[in-house]
Amino acid sequence: MIIAILALLGLSVALYMWAYASGLTGPVLCSVGDCEAVQNSEYSRISGIPVAVFGVLGYLAILTAALLGLQPGLQSSRGIPSLLFLGGLLGVAFSAYLTYLEAYVIHAWCQWCVSSAIIMVLIFLASVPELKRMGGSS
Amino acid sequence: MSKGNAGGSLRRFYIIFAVVALVGLGAVGYSVGSRALGGAVSEPVDMEGLDDMRRLTDLAVPVTIGSEDAPVTIIVFEDYLCTHCAAFSLQVKPLVEETYVQTGQARFVYYDYPLNPQMGSFLAARAARCAGDQDRFWDFHTRLMRNQRSWGVQQNKIPVFEDFAEELGLDRGAFSGCLNSDRHAEEVTANLELARALGLPGTPTIMVGSGNGMSRRLPDYSFQTIQSAVESLQGG
Repeated sequence: MIIAILALLGLSVALYMWAYASGLTGPVLCSVGDCEAVQNSEYSRISGIPVAVFGVLGYLAILTAALLGLQPGLQSSRGIPSLLFLGGLLGVAFSAYLTYLEAYVIHAWCQWCVSSAIIMVLIFLASVPELKRMGGSS
Repeated sequence: MSKGNAGGSLRRFYIIFAVVALVGLGAVGYSVGSRALGGAVSEPVDMEGLDDMRRLTDLAVPVTIGSEDAPVTIIVFEDYLCTHCAAFSLQVKPLVEETYVQTGQARFVYYDYPLNPQMGSFLAARAARCAGDQDRFWDFHTRLMRNQRSWGVQQNKIPVFEDFAEELGLDRGAFSGCLNSDRHAEEVTANLELARALGLPGTPTIMVGSGNGMSRRLPDYSFQTIQSAVESLQGG
C-alpha cells in the first residue's frame, strides 16, 4: 500500500516536471536549488525525450503493479513483489545517475529531481520486506 | 489479519490514496491551468522605488557585450517594433561590434525601451531576455528585428515567439515557461522607466560616454556619428 502512495507522489512530481518541460506551466516552482539550470541543461532530455517522461512511465508502471497487488486474487502472487522490487531497483539506479549529473556535471540541484530520487529510494526500501515475506511464505 | 481488519485497512488506504491524488495531481493541474489562463506578462508591472534614480539604475539591468574595462561605453535604447531600431540593429550594430567592441575599445550596453508596450514590444523584450536565459539573447534579438513585420501584425505573438525560439534551437519548453510568466517583466519595466527618467524622446537612442563618466546622446544612429563620438572621446 505504501508503495502505491509513494508511486502516486512520484507520479505527481514527474508529471509536473513533464508539464514544465513541455511549456505547459509557468516558471518552475523552486524554493531550493536552481531547477531551471537543471531543467535547461542538455541532460534534461534523452534522445530528445524529456527525462520526466521516463519518470512518468516508471511511476505509472510501479503504481499499476502496486494497485494490482492489492486485488484479492493477486495478494499472494509472488510476481508482483518481484516486479516492484525490480522496478524500484531500476528507478534507484536511474535516480542515482541523475543525482550524479546534478552534483558533478551540472553543478546545480533541482528540488523536484531530488524529491523524486528520495521517493524512488523509499519505494525500493518498501519493496524489500514485501519480497522477503513472499519468499518466506513459499 | 482478519477479514474485517483487512477491509478496514484497505479502506484507510483508499482514503489516503484519494487525498494524495487530489493534492498531488490537483497541484499539477492547477499549475497547468493557471498557465492556460494566460500568465504571459505583456505590459509594464507595478514596482516600488523607481523614483529613486540609483535604485532604478540597479533594477534596469541592461544586456551588455564587451569588456567592463573598455574605455568607451556605447549605450543603446531600442523598441522591437521600431523600424529604425531594426535598421540600427541589423546594419549598424554589427559594424559597431566589429570595430569597437571586439577590439576592446568599447562596451555595448543595450536597454529595452518599449514605447508601445501593449502593441507587443514589451512581450518581445521579455521574449529576448527569455532567450538570454539560454545564452541566445542576441540571436533572438536579431530574429525579432529581422522579422518585425511578420510578428508585429500577429494578434497572438506567443506561438510566433515560441516558433522563433525552436527555430534557433532553444529549449522550447523552458523558453515557453519563461515567456508565459512574469519573468523579466520587472527588468523590462525598469528599463522603460529609466529611459523615461532620462527623458529620452524615442528609439533608437544612442549614447556614447567614457567608462563610468557622463554619456552624450547622439543626434542619429549612423555608424559615422557613432564613430566620430567614439573617436572624440579617444582623442580627448
